Amino acid sequence: MNSIAVQIADFLKEYTPFNRLTTDEILEIAVSIRVINLEKNKTVFSINDSLHDSFYVVASGLINLTVIAEAEETILTKCHEGTIFGLRPFFAKNNYMMNAKAREESVVYAIPIAVFRPFVASNSDVLNLLLENFAVDKRNANDKENFENNLISENSFFTGQQSGMQFFQNLSFNTHPLITTGNTVIKEIAQLMAEMKVNNALICEKNIPVGIVTDTDMSSKIATGRFPITDTVDAIMSYPVITVSENVSLAEAQLLMLKNNVTHLCVTTDGSDKTEIKGVISEHDLILAQANNPGVLIKEIKRSQKASELKQIRSRLGDIIQSSIQKNIPLTHISNIASEVNFAILKRAVEQSILELGSPPARFAWFSIGSQARKEQLLLTDQDNFLVFEDVAPEKYKEIKDYFIELATKAIAKLEKTGYTMCPDGHVASNIIWCKSVSDWLKQFDSWMKNPGEKNNNLSSIFFDYEIIFGDQKIEDALNTVVFENVVGNTLLFDFLGNDALRKNSPLSFFKKFLVEEEGPHKDKFDIKTRALLPLIDGARMFTMSYGIKGINNTYVRFKQLAITDSKHAEIYLDCADAYLTLTKFRTLEGIKNDDTGQYINIEELSKIDREKLKNALAPMKELEDLIKNKFQLTQFS
Amino acid sequence: MLDWLKTMNKVYPDFWKNYLSTFNKKSKRFVLLSIETTGDSVQSDVILTIGAFSVIDDSIHIGDNFETVLMQYKFFHDNKLPFDFIVDSKLKKMGEPDAMKGFIDYLGNAILVGHNINFSVAMLNAALERLECGSLKNEALDVNIMHQKLIEVTDQDFTLDELLKVYKIPNEIKGSSPDAAYRTALLFLKLKSRLGIK
Repeated sequence: MNSIAVQIADFLKEYTPFNRLTTDEILEIAVSIRVINLEKNKTVFSINDSLHDSFYVVASGLINLTVIAEAEETILTKCHEGTIFGLRPFFAKNNYMMNAKAREESVVYAIPIAVFRPFVASNSDVLNLLLENFAVDKRNANDKENFENNLISENSFFTGQQSGMQFFQNLSFNTHPLITTGNTVIKEIAQLMAEMKVNNALICEKNIPVGIVTDTDMSSKIATGRFPITDTVDAIMSYPVITVSENVSLAEAQLLMLKNNVTHLCVTTDGSDKTEIKGVISEHDLILAQANNPGVLIKEIKRSQKASELKQIRSRLGDIIQSSIQKNIPLTHISNIASEVNFAILKRAVEQSILELGSPPARFAWFSIGSQARKEQLLLTDQDNFLVFEDVAPEKYKEIKDYFIELATKAIAKLEKTGYTMCPDGHVASNIIWCKSVSDWLKQFDSWMKNPGEKNNNLSSIFFDYEIIFGDQKIEDALNTVVFENVVGNTLLFDFLGNDALRKNSPLSFFKKFLVEEEGPHKDKFDIKTRALLPLIDGARMFTMSYGIKGINNTYVRFKQLAITDSKHAEIYLDCADAYLTLTKFRTLEGIKNDDTGQYINIEELSKIDREKLKNALAPMKELEDLIKNKFQLTQFS
Repeated sequence: MLDWLKTMNKVYPDFWKNYLSTFNKKSKRFVLLSIETTGDSVQSDVILTIGAFSVIDDSIHIGDNFETVLMQYKFFHDNKLPFDFIVDSKLKKMGEPDAMKGFIDYLGNAILVGHNINFSVAMLNAALERLECGSLKNEALDVNIMHQKLIEVTDQDFTLDELLKVYKIPNEIKGSSPDAAYRTALLFLKLKSRLGIK
């Protein structure tokens, strides 16, 4: 009898492959377990270490598996609670091929291979599961999609470009290929190909593929003069055609092309060459898919039906962001792409909810506010949004409001499932105070701007960064009008906003040391969000509003625009724009590393150069503050 | 001195002789001990449960454990207490002599670790005396003192719950001695690596 072993067994049986074993078997394993505590940054094993006699299960904490690629340590995968790693000794004799390092203080269970092996041998289910995970590099989105799948492949290798997604990624291909018959004259086909701007034509009999001509055939067989241009096409076509089924994956398609030395694959209904043609895959399609094209993500978003699909797509976006940052692609590009994908996800979440709930009884608009509206959301931070519906007859008001609240609740639940947590202040559309009719909203903005700072007014400056996600553009126009009418000559509002912006704590102490959190769970870490990013965001918002610049929400673009509008202070604005990018990059890297919102940066972990960089990025803030103090009268609320 | 004279002619039970013979060499094994008692008095109270795990090479060996509930029927009877506790307990039930013998065999020459370990040792010694054995000879470490050393405080005592909270060890479900011993073991591993004890 061993009560702790029972507890550990209870923990293990939640996860594969242990859930395939009987309670007694798990208990037997649990008794043999060694429990290891790992301090932060302690390694379990590193590359080229000789194999241990056990494999590991994460009991709590976070373990990063990394490899060294191009002299840089690159994270292959993060092992959360319940994840199995270090399975290599099961299958291979050579040393470990990756590092396993505790990202935070962690507890792992070491399960002796000798104890576990008999269960593997006697249980083919378990064996297959382990083998599958060892043989295939499926460390990416597949893992994330399927939470049951907590096994980490041992032979993952990192080649820089390969992202591992190709094993499940579906290909988008030409579904309307050029189809002709065997007795067509070559010249006609060449003309058609030129017209349709394709480099291939399928030759069919009764819609069943018999051959294919490509640019290569044309150049090697016609242009060389081996066949006259007036011959029929069956003389020069390549056959048989390699056929595949519709749901072929990128990797499969690639292998088939290599194996058969062809450049095109014909898609048929069931994948054999005896059924109807569905389309054609060219090498170009493979390149597009491999580029991890965000366009593909957006397409997949538009087709998605469930929140779980959105979640999977969002996690792939996370991979794109991570690899882009590691490849030093400019942050403005990354955030442009990310915001487009985010935008599509938000929109689709609302659409999906409408599909489930039935069409809305009145016109409405769904707005994002905060970071999502500013198109600055690289990490999975919180969602803020509100909903406006058109004015309706008073007797129908309640019914309609109920519909929209339900709609919002659904959409928000979907987004939450996707990974965007709820706003802690409750700035979401399912909240009855943020789901109102147009005239109520206009009144709300009016009262915010005319009487800022009044009690129970609930003014959060993020409401001025709104961006329409879904619905009627006219509603946004109406809001714009009220906001910009009220801005003119409204010293009180700027007084309020200015004080709000300046109230954020300064980032550096008098001695130019970082001011870190003094207590709480993030003790000794630097709060980059409140101390560095928010003042810039608030400042940019204030100035754009005061200059009446419409339609720009992104902080970086705002500063760039301000430099043009207010050219006298262009230098300060441009410095701020750069600083903003640098700070965002720091935050994003931290967020990726820790799988959180990146709000708190561990200064100790930064290299000396990075620390200086961060400090320099904080300098323009002071100038921006002075500019705010000069331009606006900040007396009322000080 | 008098102690020595008293024990001169005493014949120890076999298990105790075995125990003494293990001290020929130094041990690398730590035994994390937690006991429950009926009260605070070494003389009049008795041990109710014993839970222990071993730590070797910075890892807790789940299989190398000892847990038991002692059938202290005499104590319960003398104090007119119900026996429900013993009946309900899911741990292995043993009489005090068997439990002590089993524990001493399990312990060997390992280094004892626990919270408020001196009291535990005193309770065990009292029980051993009833079996005509000597006192425990093991080295003993106290997690409380380890923590005090780490944060350089000497005048403040920490309860086990406080320590678990400081080191973020989950402590939601209150269990019996084995749970406490397991948590103490995690705590010990954390303290050990922070203090750099080999």
